[in-house]
Amino acid sequence: MSENTKKSSPAMILAAWVLVGVPLAWGVYNTVLNSMRLFQAPAVSLPASSAPTK
Amino acid sequence: MALLSFLDRERSVAHPGYSRWLVPPAALAIHLAIGQAYAFSVFKIPLSQLVGVSKPAAGDWKQTQIAWIFSFAIVMLGLSAAAFGKWLEGAGPRKAMFVSAVCFALGFYISYFGVISHQLWLLYLGYGFVGGIGLGLGYISPVSTLIKWFPDRPGLATGMAIMGFGGGAMIGAPLSIKLMAFYKSAGDVGVGKTFLTMGTIYFVFMMFGVFTIRVPRDGWKPEGWTAPAKKNAMITTHNVEVNTAFGTPQFWLLWVVLCTNVTAGIGIIEQASPMIQEFFKGSIGPVAAGGFVGLLSLFNMAGRFFWSSVSDYIGRKTTYFVFFALGATLYFLLPKTGADHLNSIALFVGIAVVLLSMYGGGFATIPAYLRDMFGTHHVSAIHGRLLTAWSTAGVLGPVLVNYLREYELAHGADKSSAYQTVLHVMAGLLVVGFAANLAVRPVSEKYWMKDGSVATGDSGGH
Repeated sequence: MSENTKKSSPAMILAAWVLVGVPLAWGVYNTVLNSMRLFQAPAVSLPASSAPTK
Repeated sequence: MALLSFLDRERSVAHPGYSRWLVPPAALAIHLAIGQAYAFSVFKIPLSQLVGVSKPAAGDWKQTQIAWIFSFAIVMLGLSAAAFGKWLEGAGPRKAMFVSAVCFALGFYISYFGVISHQLWLLYLGYGFVGGIGLGLGYISPVSTLIKWFPDRPGLATGMAIMGFGGGAMIGAPLSIKLMAFYKSAGDVGVGKTFLTMGTIYFVFMMFGVFTIRVPRDGWKPEGWTAPAKKNAMITTHNVEVNTAFGTPQFWLLWVVLCTNVTAGIGIIEQASPMIQEFFKGSIGPVAAGGFVGLLSLFNMAGRFFWSSVSDYIGRKTTYFVFFALGATLYFLLPKTGADHLNSIALFVGIAVVLLSMYGGGFATIPAYLRDMFGTHHVSAIHGRLLTAWSTAGVLGPVLVNYLREYELAHGADKSSAYQTVLHVMAGLLVVGFAANLAVRPVSEKYWMKDGSVATGDSGGH
């Protein structure tokens, strides 16, 4: 039985990483968009008496 | 069955020239899929409105009943990882990944029938029981294979896969929301068809992992790499059988290490949104708090890759010392950042994201720590049993946080200072973890396997 010694092609390796990388990047992108709300949301206004003193 | 013989370990041995850089994407395909479990909460409201559609109606399931679906799945993750780990070592990663994909997809399909017939027990059985077995098998299936392919960087290799589990929720949540919106109609919340579609998508995606995964040939090692001549006492060159490992002090010390690290992390995750709002009342509202939760999940995922990679350079024991020493200090300081003290949102967020990165790092570094202690021979099986620490922490963390907080509130503490006690208890837990890590020593010679298999670079067909 002859043994397959063919080297994995760089294109195949790249394709494999793209296949898992694209959905992951999409998920990260959505999460980054979501987390931006921490920095963009307007502050909740409170009466002066109950506002933080420091 | 001859039809499924391609799943056999012998059929998945890599041919000469096969690149080891194809193995992490194969592992990621599994972990990115099963990580969806942590996005299950997006189904809670739709599942509670199957009858009423726009709002819960008589006959609809309660959210407390629905919450059990996820709990069953996580319990089954721990139990199946512990129970099937030894089988996996013999059957090989391809067969285990295939069974994982079948169970995970079948879980969705059974749940679909549960939705259309409005039978909650079918969701417990489907997503919880059958799907949970898929989670456990999928979680541990690529671990020992990755370690064998990357004897020079085991932390990096397992970190990549376990990072995928963190990333899976980030894909699963928006995917579910978009699918439910697509299938929604006047009389249907769209969750049933979403289950059906997700089961199919994830099955196909996981099949990429099944067909791509390979185990290295006997005696394989990375080109140009030789095992370090200088022996490190904390990295064994021997193997310990899974049942034997279960009886060693090292296993239980690492069990405490994982359990305390995870419990402390859950202390933040469980209360992240209300905590930041109550610490900074008037400055942070629910929308911004939602953003904070998103930021935590990003650092949870990034920490898995970062810390496990760092552990290849500074060592596993030192990495956990950092988690426990820095973690305990940061948990202690966190309450001081609130509006009553320093009033620094930036500092609060900065500390919380570092803590979450170390929570994720704890998950990702433990397989390499196990490999250092017990060798590669049964590392997946040992890892599977150690995951019972995760299941325990999954119960312990929320119980500690919620009961302590309720106790404090019942005894007159205000909402913000009630968190202080909780966070200080978390700091105390990390001190326990520090002590357990300190006690970890190399495994005694009496526990070694008699065949004298060499762990480093050992790629034997087991």
